Amino acid sequence: MGIRLKINDEIHEFHGDPRTSLLNTLRDTFRLTGSKTPCTEGFCGACTVFIDGEPAVACLIAVGTLEGKKITTIEGVATDGQLNPVQQAFEDHDVVQCGMCFPGMVMTITHLMKNNPKPTRDEVKSAMTGNICRCTGYERIVDAVMSVQAGGRVAQ
Amino acid sequence: MNNHFDPKDIVMDLPRRDARDKLLGRTKYTIDTGGSDVLHAVLLRAEVPSADIKSINFDKARSMPGVKAIATYEDAPGLHGLGIADTPIFAHDVIRYHGEPIAAIAATTVEQAQAAARAVEIELVEQDALITMADALADGAKLVHPNWSDYQILFEGAERKGNIAWEATVVRGDTDEAFARDDVEIIEGCYSVGRQSHVPFEPRVAVASYEDGRFHIQTSTQVPWTVRHVVATVLGVSDSKVRVTVPAVGGGFGLKFDCSLEPYAAVLAKKTGQTVSIANTRKEEQMTCLCRENAEIRIRSAVTKDGEIVGREATVLMDAGAYGGEQVFLSTMTAHTLGGNYKLGSIKLSSLVVYTNTPPNGAFRACNGVYNTFALERHTDEICKKIGMDPIEFRKRNVVGKDDLGATGQVFEGDVIGPMLDKAIDKYGPHEEKTLPDGRLYGRSTTVGTWFIFVGPSAATVNLNSDGSATLVTSGVEIGQGTMVQALPQIVAASLGIHPDEVIVKSADTDASGKDLGVGGGRTTVSIGAASAAACEEVRDKLFSMASQILQTKAEDLVLKNGRVEIQGKPGSGTSLQTVIAQCEAEFGPVSGSGSFTNPGIPAMPGCAAGHFIDAIDIPVHAVHDCELAVDPDTGHIEILSYRVVQDVGRALNPRAIHSQIQGGVVQGLGYALHEEITINEQGAFDQQGFEAYRVPGVLDVLPVEFELHEGAPSCGPFGVKGAGEIPILNVGAAVACAVANATGEQVSHLPLTPPKVLNVIDGEQGKLDFPYISSDWKSNTVRFS
Repeated sequence: MGIRLKINDEIHEFHGDPRTSLLNTLRDTFRLTGSKTPCTEGFCGACTVFIDGEPAVACLIAVGTLEGKKITTIEGVATDGQLNPVQQAFEDHDVVQCGMCFPGMVMTITHLMKNNPKPTRDEVKSAMTGNICRCTGYERIVDAVMSVQAGGRVAQ
Repeated sequence: MNNHFDPKDIVMDLPRRDARDKLLGRTKYTIDTGGSDVLHAVLLRAEVPSADIKSINFDKARSMPGVKAIATYEDAPGLHGLGIADTPIFAHDVIRYHGEPIAAIAATTVEQAQAAARAVEIELVEQDALITMADALADGAKLVHPNWSDYQILFEGAERKGNIAWEATVVRGDTDEAFARDDVEIIEGCYSVGRQSHVPFEPRVAVASYEDGRFHIQTSTQVPWTVRHVVATVLGVSDSKVRVTVPAVGGGFGLKFDCSLEPYAAVLAKKTGQTVSIANTRKEEQMTCLCRENAEIRIRSAVTKDGEIVGREATVLMDAGAYGGEQVFLSTMTAHTLGGNYKLGSIKLSSLVVYTNTPPNGAFRACNGVYNTFALERHTDEICKKIGMDPIEFRKRNVVGKDDLGATGQVFEGDVIGPMLDKAIDKYGPHEEKTLPDGRLYGRSTTVGTWFIFVGPSAATVNLNSDGSATLVTSGVEIGQGTMVQALPQIVAASLGIHPDEVIVKSADTDASGKDLGVGGGRTTVSIGAASAAACEEVRDKLFSMASQILQTKAEDLVLKNGRVEIQGKPGSGTSLQTVIAQCEAEFGPVSGSGSFTNPGIPAMPGCAAGHFIDAIDIPVHAVHDCELAVDPDTGHIEILSYRVVQDVGRALNPRAIHSQIQGGVVQGLGYALHEEITINEQGAFDQQGFEAYRVPGVLDVLPVEFELHEGAPSCGPFGVKGAGEIPILNVGAAVACAVANATGEQVSHLPLTPPKVLNVIDGEQGKLDFPYISSDWKSNTVRFS
C-alpha cells in the first residue's frame, strides 16, 4: 500500500521508502524537477511547495507524513499555461537571471499576495527572508512584486 | 558596402526569452536531467589535507549492490593546468588537499554509489600539511609538489620555485631612485583577504555518455571548449573525440570557468557503456569550491607632497591551494589592478602564486581585481592621510587618462575615470562630516577601479531561414547573465533588420559551433557579439547582392528594416526578406554567414612584464563606487546606508539587463566585504560547509543600488560595447573598507569586515597588520630578482 498524494490536482501513489523527502519524491519519482535542490537543508527556499495551501520547504519533509495531502508545486501554479500575476510581473520586469531560486520565490510571493494582496515593501522583504538568491541582489524582485495590482496584470 | 545600420537600433530593454520557462519550473538544467535511465556516480574524496597513499583496496566496494564501475588515476592519468600541467583528476600516490578525488564510483543509485565509496579501504600515511601561505613559504617547508620542476610548462616565461607555483613581475622605471628622493613621503601598508565561495544554485554537475567512439558530455559549465580540451587531455584522446553541450546553467560566477566533474562522468560512461550522471552535493560544492583566493599584500609608495606617486612597489601572495589553476593566469592581473587606476612614475610588482595543502582556488567575478582594488584604494586613502590631501582631489590628480601609461607601459586611449569621478561627485554631492543621532559612526567613501574585458577567440555562424528568421550558432552559454537571450539576439536582429524574437539562439554544442574561450571576464557581448556581427555582415552582403538584382537598385542603396529589404529612404519600396531568401536558395543555396573575432593584443613596453599571459589590457573597464554606511561601535555591525555606482559600459545595449547585473554584482560584493567568511581548520577543510555557516546576502541585507551608466569610452568591442556583468563587484570591498576607515578614523586592512573584525578595527588592531614573510625589500620577495 503506497502513500497517496494529490499533486497539482492529480492523484499519485508513492511506493518507495516513506522517509524519502518530498523533494526527492517529486523530482526523482514523479520527475517534477521545477522544485530545486540547491541546499536540501531547508536554508535556501528553492524547493518551496504548498502543502494543503501552506508553503513549506519540500526538502525537509518526509513523504510518509503526507498521506492524503494536497501538494502544489511550481508546475501547478499557472493555469492553462497562463502565468499567475506574480510570475507575470517577474517576466515583465525582467528580473530572472539564472532562474534557480525563482520556483521558490514564486511560491512564497504567490502565498503572500493571496493573504495580503497589497503588501508594503517591508512585508514583501519579510516574506522573502527564507528565499536566497545569488544572482539578483533581490531589490528588482521586490520592485516587480510591488507592481502587482491586486487581481490584475502588472502595471509597469 | 556603406549601407550600415545605426547601432542605436541594437539598444532596447529586450526581456529575457528564457524567463517564462524558468518561472514555470519547466527549464531543464543539467541537474534536472537523468532520472532512472542513468547511472549515478560519486567521488571518493580525501578526508585529510596531506598524505601518502600506501594502498587502496576496492574489492569490497566492487561487490556492493548496484555498483557498475570504479575509476581511478589509471583510467585518466593525464595532467592538466593553466600555464603548468600540474593537476591530476585523481590523487595517485599523494593526497594534496582535503576533498581531493581518489576514485569515482558509478552505481544504479546515488545511495549505492555512496555506500560503495564508504567501503573502499585506504591505507594512508598522513603528512604535515601546509595550511597557510606562511607555512608554505617558511624556510625548510616541505614541498606540496616535490617534482614541481618536472611538470610540463604550457606557457613559457615565468619563474617558479618549490611552493611558488608561478611568479609574475612588472618592472618599469627606477623605484630605488624614487624611494631615495628627499621630497617624498613613504607610505607602506599590509592587507589581507579571505576566500569567497560562489554558491551557484546549480552545483557542478555533468552527464556523460560514450557513443560511436566519442564522449558526449552535457554539463553545467561556462567553458564548453575548455571542458572538451581538458577531458581529452586527461583521458589521453584527441579533442575531437569529445562533444560538449550545455543547457541553461544555474549560475556560475566564475566557478564553472574550469573543467570540473566532466572527466569523471566521461570515464565512467566509457567503462559502463551507460549514461552516467555526477553532481556535487552542496557540502562537496562548498568544501571544494574553487574560491576567490585568500591573499596577502604589501604595498609601498613614494609620494610627493603635491600627491605625485613617483614610485610604487608591491608584492601579492595568492593562495593557489594544492594546484595552480586560475591563479597562475590571474597573477598577470595584479599589474592592471594594483598597478592600475593611477599614474605611477616607476613601479615594481610581483604576484606569487603559492601552493598550499588546501582546496584549489579558481576564478570568481572580477577575480583578484576585487581584493587588489580593496588594497589599492585603502593604500590610496592612507597616502592621502599621510600627505594631508583630500582623497577625491588626490584621485582627480592621479587617475590615468588619455595618453597616460599603464603599469606595463600600455598607453591609455581616453579620459575615462576622471570624468566618471566628476559625474559621481556632481550627482551624489561632496563628502561631508555627518553625525548620526543614534551614536553610530557615519562614513562615506568614493573609490575608483580598473578591470579588463577578457577578449580572446570566438566564432559565430548565422543561418537565414526561409521564413525570414535567423539562427545564431555559437558556443556561448546562458548562465543567468542574459547575454545569450538579450545582447546577442539584439545585435543579430539589428544587423538583419528583424525583431530579436526572430533570432533563434542555439545552445552551446562544440560539434555545431567554432572554438570559444567561454563565458567569463565580461567577454561574451564583446567577443561573441563581434563574431556574430561579422557573420551578419556576410549575410547582409549576400542579401543585398541578390536584392539589388530583384529591385534593380544599387546594393549600397539598400537597407534591411522590419523584415524587408528596402531602398533607403523609401519605406515599402523593396521586398520581403523571404522573397530575397527564396531567390538566393533557388540560385545558390541557403544563406549563411560566418564570423570570428579575437584581439591580437595591444602593445606594452617591451621587457616590462615577466610571467604574464597578456602584456596589456585590450579593453580597460572602470567603475566609481560611492558608499555611505553606519558602524555600530558597540556591536561592530555595519549598515549600508547608500550604495551608488558609475559604471563604464562603452555602449549600453540593454540598460535594464545592466541594472540587474549592477544590483546583483554589488550585493555579491557586499557579501564579500561584510560577512562571507571562509576559515580553514587544521584538517585543511573549510569550517563553512553549507548555507547555514557560509552567509550569502539575504533580502534583508540589501538595498537598492543607485547607478549611472558612463557611455562612450574607447572599446574595440563591436559598436563600442564593453562587458557589464563582471565589473559591478570590483570596488565593493574597497568602498566598504574605505568608508569604515573614514567612519572609525582607524586603518582597515582586512576583509571580510565581520562584526568581530570591525571591533578589531575600532581597537586600532588592523593598522598593525604585518607579514614578516613579505619583505619591505621588494626584490627579496621575488624569485626572478632575489
